[in-house]
Amino acid sequence: MRRPLALAILLAACASPAAAQSITVAVAADIRSNNPGVNRDDSTDDFALQLVEGLVGYNEGGNATPLLAQKVDLSADGKTYTFTLREGVKFHNGATLTSADVLWSWNRYMDPKTQWRCTSEFDGRSGLKVESVSAPDARTFVMTIDKPNALFLDTMARTDCAMTAILHKDSVKADGSWDKPIGTGPYKFGEWKRGEYFTMTAFDGYQSPGQGKIDGYVGSKRPLLKEVKFLVVKDAATVKAGLISGALQMSETLPSDVEELKKVPSLKVMVAPNAVRHIFLIQTKDTVMGNKNLRQAIAAALDYPELVAAASNNLGTPNNSPIYSTSGYFGEVEKQGHKYDPARAKQLLQEAGYKGEKITILANKRPTVPSFPAAVVWQQMLQAVGINAEIEVLDWATQLDRFNKGNYQMQSFSFSARFDPAIAFEQFSGPKDKQPRKVWDNPDAQALIDKSMLISDKAERQKIFDELHRRVIDEVPLIFLYNGLDAVAMSKAISGFQPWQSKLRMWEVTLAQ
Amino acid sequence: MLSYLVQRLASTLLVMTLVGIFVFLLLHLSAGDPAAIIAGDYATPQQIATIRQRLGLDDPLLVQFGRWALRVVQGDLGVSIFTSTPVSALILQRLEPTLSVAVLTMIFAVSIAVTLGVLAAWKAGRPVDRLLMGFSVLGFSMPTFVVGYCLIYVFAIELRWLPVQGYRPIMDGIGPWFLHLVLPTITLGLAYVALIARMTRASVQEVLEEDYIRTANAKGVPARTMLMKHALKNAGVPIITVIGIGVALLIGGVVITETVFNIPGIGRLVVDAISKRDYPIIQGVILVFSGVYVLINLAVDLSYSLIDPRIRH
Repeated sequence: MRRPLALAILLAACASPAAAQSITVAVAADIRSNNPGVNRDDSTDDFALQLVEGLVGYNEGGNATPLLAQKVDLSADGKTYTFTLREGVKFHNGATLTSADVLWSWNRYMDPKTQWRCTSEFDGRSGLKVESVSAPDARTFVMTIDKPNALFLDTMARTDCAMTAILHKDSVKADGSWDKPIGTGPYKFGEWKRGEYFTMTAFDGYQSPGQGKIDGYVGSKRPLLKEVKFLVVKDAATVKAGLISGALQMSETLPSDVEELKKVPSLKVMVAPNAVRHIFLIQTKDTVMGNKNLRQAIAAALDYPELVAAASNNLGTPNNSPIYSTSGYFGEVEKQGHKYDPARAKQLLQEAGYKGEKITILANKRPTVPSFPAAVVWQQMLQAVGINAEIEVLDWATQLDRFNKGNYQMQSFSFSARFDPAIAFEQFSGPKDKQPRKVWDNPDAQALIDKSMLISDKAERQKIFDELHRRVIDEVPLIFLYNGLDAVAMSKAISGFQPWQSKLRMWEVTLAQ
Repeated sequence: MLSYLVQRLASTLLVMTLVGIFVFLLLHLSAGDPAAIIAGDYATPQQIATIRQRLGLDDPLLVQFGRWALRVVQGDLGVSIFTSTPVSALILQRLEPTLSVAVLTMIFAVSIAVTLGVLAAWKAGRPVDRLLMGFSVLGFSMPTFVVGYCLIYVFAIELRWLPVQGYRPIMDGIGPWFLHLVLPTITLGLAYVALIARMTRASVQEVLEEDYIRTANAKGVPARTMLMKHALKNAGVPIITVIGIGVALLIGGVVITETVFNIPGIGRLVVDAISKRDYPIIQGVILVFSGVYVLINLAVDLSYSLIDPRIRH
């Protein structure tokens, strides 16, 4: 071997990023901040929730369950929640968690200067109001709300609220400005080089809330890796090359790359459905699309198994319900969706008085969502029954703008995850004159959604959600297609990882030597 | 000369002002609301409106422009809407990777291209010329990302000679820094090798047909001396012009190369900013790029008189 080549190989070996029990994970986007629930997006939440924890967190089924709390007691009038803290929980700086920390964190969140994402969810602006909080002893924290609310704990556990994380007061500087997260999570904040990477290291003093198996954000959460480096890699082909070469040990991957990566001997790929919903939106205020028969014709024109197979690279399963397929509320009624019936579609078009008016479908070409491929199949299926549909491709920011203004006829779109069905329905329901982005403007349905937010009985809630599902199917203000998919490719040396709700949970994950 | 320089620098300011106005209007008049992106899809219209107000996006366009222009005049490019980091700090942070790629690419392209161009001109019409010019057409025709992925596949994945992606700061050592830049440099440089080689060939070939070259030949001047001292120097002006254009065009190429090789440079910074409508970053980067572009042109113009004393400003 010639000398320069030998030198190159030696230097390349020196530049190798992987060390024992440390892994490099590719992520598509940098974090916006390390301030949980403040300047955030999904990637930021994902990272933050490895570092911090709340009193309650979601379990695998999407239910809010105790996390830093050992138990939560609800008063008979349904307004007072008493959280008893787990014993011996430590912050990353070694301090022991007490109710004083919970009180400090809550007061900080409710201070408008903090700009917490969810302040308005608890101060009455969104209907729910926390009237008082207190810390009667070191292990007890009490919250009183203005009226019973079935979603109070769920809202506390929301990932975009960063689980209402309990932080140590040393997370902020003496002048009150943000410094870095000192939480109770299994990993500690490491280093952040903007636009390039961010890291976290194992918290040796971590007390796992559960033993045995992984369960959402609760369950067993041991930090078994020494360090995790999240490397920002934008391009899917670059991610693929990194995985194949071994420079990366794990990454979310596109459904279109799953088959190829499965064939790489050093890699394995895990695929699981999540609570994201891929959908077709229809603007009911539009002069053409306001016709219910036309909307029903559109729903009947779609061959759902074929459409979903094409849009998801044969990985997805049709689901016409706003409730995601692995939810505890996804029952027999929710399994009943639209029926593919081209003859009926043509008949409905006649009844609608449709005369070939052009209908525009908005779509974008972001590789992480099936907006464009789904729109192409949608267009073909509509044309097959005589609907004059055309696609207009926009960049994502423009499409989102059109969505928020309600300025469209139809869109191939995706809704982010909502665990509780009440919030899943509320996401697209409401008065369009006040909130133009709302898709379904039906006061009766809104009353049912509001009711479901107040009652806690699961059977009663199920009846409401079943009724709402039937109405969505009948009125067709939008068409739910299938749930999002988490496709994660990783080195075969990695074990213990489980994809869940697009979160790259690094606890219980190990890397073989 | 001095008055020419002052005049050109003044025109640089004018160009940057016009670019600033154009980019500002283009961005703010196009669809897309950064406040809605920041707020996320849980947000109510009131929450989005609050964010717009906080960011000053609900002020009249003229007020927003005035505020931005006033800051720029004071040397402040503003703060990123999404990360709350000063734009100048973000640009400085990303400058080293981008400069590294750009400088190495130009060194690689110019050294290879000039040699090949002179060789092709000297052997004009012969198989060597045809081979070199064929290669240059190929280099120019291949899209940057195709070249990049092919090189990654061969040299990083199959042969494992070079890192597949990423960037190492020069402070981490020249070795890792250089190794991480080999493939991006070749990827980006190939098109410029082709461009400059063709221009060099044409210019040198034209000079080789001049009487004084014939005289030099008749006097028995060695081929190397004749080519490098007489022909190349006299063919320098158009070559320098193409190199100058190449440096300016490099800015576009860097964006793709940085994406393919995952280099955290300015190109990637601005692409991310465009997708999120992070106005201050887009405006700041384009303003800086336009300034660099104009200054490169100025440097090229000034270099003419160094190569050809007959050219005076």
